[in-house]
Amino acid sequence: MYWKYCIKRIVYGLAIFITLIFIFSALFNTTMESTLRSQIEEEIRGETLKLDTRMTPEEITHYIAERREFKRHLYHLDKPIWSRIVWRAINVLSLDFGKATIMRSSSGEADVWTIIAECLPRTVLLFTTAIFINIVLGLWLGLRKAQKAGGLMDKTTSIGTMIVYGMPSWWLGMLVIMFFAYTIKIFPSGGLHSVPPPTGFAYYIDLLHHMTLPVLTLVLIGFWGSAFLIRNIMLSILQEDYIMAARTRGIPERKVLYGHAMRTAAPPIVTMALLSLLASVGGNIIFEGIFSWPGLGNLYWIAIEQNDIPVLMGNLFITTALYIGGLVILDLIYGFLDPRIKVGGKQ
Amino acid sequence: MKWIDFKAGFRDFWNEFKRVKFGLFGLILLFIFILVILINPYIVPFPEASSRWRDITYWEDNPVSAPPIWVNWFSSIQRAPSLIIEEHTFSEEKMGKIKLSRAIFEYDYPYDLPPLDIIFHGYTKGSPVIMLSIERPDGHIIELVRRPISKSDGKKVRVSIGKDSRIESYNFGTKFENLEGNRIEREIVKPTSILFSEAKEGILVYPAPLRGTYKIIAEIILPSKNDVVEDIYFTLSGSVSGWLGTDSSKRDIWSGVVAGVKWALLIGLLTALTAVSIGVTYGVMSAYLGGWKDSLMQRVFELFLGVPLLPVLIVMSAIFKPNIWIMILMMSCFFWVGPVKTVRSMGLQIKEETYIEAAHALGASSSRIIFKHMIPILIPYAFASMALYVPRAIVYEASISLLGLGDSTIVTWGQILHDALTGGAVLNGLWWWVIPPGLFIALMGMTFAFIGFAMDKILHPKLRTR
Repeated sequence: MYWKYCIKRIVYGLAIFITLIFIFSALFNTTMESTLRSQIEEEIRGETLKLDTRMTPEEITHYIAERREFKRHLYHLDKPIWSRIVWRAINVLSLDFGKATIMRSSSGEADVWTIIAECLPRTVLLFTTAIFINIVLGLWLGLRKAQKAGGLMDKTTSIGTMIVYGMPSWWLGMLVIMFFAYTIKIFPSGGLHSVPPPTGFAYYIDLLHHMTLPVLTLVLIGFWGSAFLIRNIMLSILQEDYIMAARTRGIPERKVLYGHAMRTAAPPIVTMALLSLLASVGGNIIFEGIFSWPGLGNLYWIAIEQNDIPVLMGNLFITTALYIGGLVILDLIYGFLDPRIKVGGKQ
Repeated sequence: MKWIDFKAGFRDFWNEFKRVKFGLFGLILLFIFILVILINPYIVPFPEASSRWRDITYWEDNPVSAPPIWVNWFSSIQRAPSLIIEEHTFSEEKMGKIKLSRAIFEYDYPYDLPPLDIIFHGYTKGSPVIMLSIERPDGHIIELVRRPISKSDGKKVRVSIGKDSRIESYNFGTKFENLEGNRIEREIVKPTSILFSEAKEGILVYPAPLRGTYKIIAEIILPSKNDVVEDIYFTLSGSVSGWLGTDSSKRDIWSGVVAGVKWALLIGLLTALTAVSIGVTYGVMSAYLGGWKDSLMQRVFELFLGVPLLPVLIVMSAIFKPNIWIMILMMSCFFWVGPVKTVRSMGLQIKEETYIEAAHALGASSSRIIFKHMIPILIPYAFASMALYVPRAIVYEASISLLGLGDSTIVTWGQILHDALTGGAVLNGLWWWVIPPGLFIALMGMTFAFIGFAMDKILHPKLRTR
């Protein structure tokens, strides 16, 4: 029954994504079209410069009008508004985000999709690394907290969780840069790698060196929260009867903890890890801009700075796709780990 | 639920809340923040910071990028703080029609680093001439500025010694400096650093501070009877200034940060209140109505759940350029999804209670049952989640402001940090510009986290959200 559940979830996710794309297209229609219009005018101006100089002014005016008509038709600007919205949404769904007005990809292309595709893996790399370290540290601390709940360490670290609760990660990033990159100068202040990038194995060392500060910041902010959640999850499991039964059977505490409790705790912890990854996409992404980490978050900064609307919109669509994709994967994994869902509940 | 029940419920809740220490601590912090808003004009040197944050004339007497005054306490180098000198001795002489008045201001200078600028202020009528000079502890008198004022019916005059006496102070310095070989450009040397240094070789290159009492003399020639110069005072822009220093546009950061408190509280509380109210009502309605209405509402809810919040808010702010009220509305529009799931499951339980059935049997309408009988039970939960939404709203607004998309008519902590980032504060190590605004965001977040977690802890046994 699991595959049925899978298909249902995926179709659901797709439906939500498509609806959202339509809503976004309608919401930002005016801005997108005004950008498109000025792009068309720009193109036509370029074409007229290349024209035969022997043409009369009337001919040129006629030519411009003709080209404008053609391009308007090409980009559906002569259609009624609802059909324009639908056309744009369909374009987006087929990964055609149009051309960037100013920004270029590293190979010099103006295609928005190319620009975004370049940034995507870097964002994924940074945030997955940080979340992975987060979870490992969180597990280590959370288990200790749950074992001695109400103890001194549990209390102090819980206070720590509350202290960092409203702390913006990008602000901590600014402080970390100020200290590690400009005061004691042991880490670079930002970027993906040195210029020019070293080759071979040295490249990966260099990448790690550049990744250290952003990852450190994310971990410093994040692991308190994951430790607290893991503590809560483990605490409720450790109070279950079968744990007590295992303990009375004389099974060593370590085995009870890692063998019995962890097995039950796995689904919620995996969910939590994925949720925090999603939360990073939904709420932490501009953090990249502080470290000039050239990912999707940094792309928002640059697109806003240069007022490049197509890139901004394309970025939004991709982030939304990532986010909803993450939500679907979350459901799938949860369904896989939790047998009650796999069987299909009500039947 | 009657008002008395509500009061009794609140008293029970308060009795439990009192026992959670960090919750109380959070309440105290919140109280301090509210107090800061109320006494705002009395604790900041620039009370109009909130409305005139981007008005450069309001800040022009401050030094550029000066550290806070308390760095003196931890440093072996003593820097001169910003100061306003109003006290002076005044004398008048008459020479025929012309009147010459003289005001002497005393300035005690026990520091190592001189102030950045000395600025004359006065209110003039007619066309007087203002002459400024300084008498040093070693007896040298340096004439600095001679400024004729063009005819007017009354205006405020501002003369900056740092800007207008470059030649005079430089000439004074060259008298003692042996300039053979190394020529020092006039533009490089600060006038105040010459004026407050020992008159010996090295005054331009390695100035040694000359401590003692300086007399700043303002002589004013009043050519005719109608000419007036009044309200004269000097401001010194120090090399340290204010409790939190100044930024690169001369703005006092302490005033800005304190002005940001009320905006942060407003943004946080209003967004959380609106969002949680919508969310709780939505969840309860969904649970109570049931059937196809419930399914439809759940689909809409899932649609909103699929929205990546910050990116959408960023793009909307970039395109629609909202003011702060629209921004709060936009955030509320997305934040309401948070409590829906829990509230709905709780609503499904409450719906089955017998008193709801009784109310239904008595012919109560759906809206009466929802608003009178179901929502009041959820109020404690609503408050707990509200407290935890406040920091989120503040951080989201700060993030949007950090990108430079904030409302430019007000001053928020995120905007100060945006200015810090674009003004190169991180690069130049201007920590007093970067740390305080973020620290206040974190403190405010911590306050509500304490309160929220405390409420959560009390509600924990019945209503687990995690």
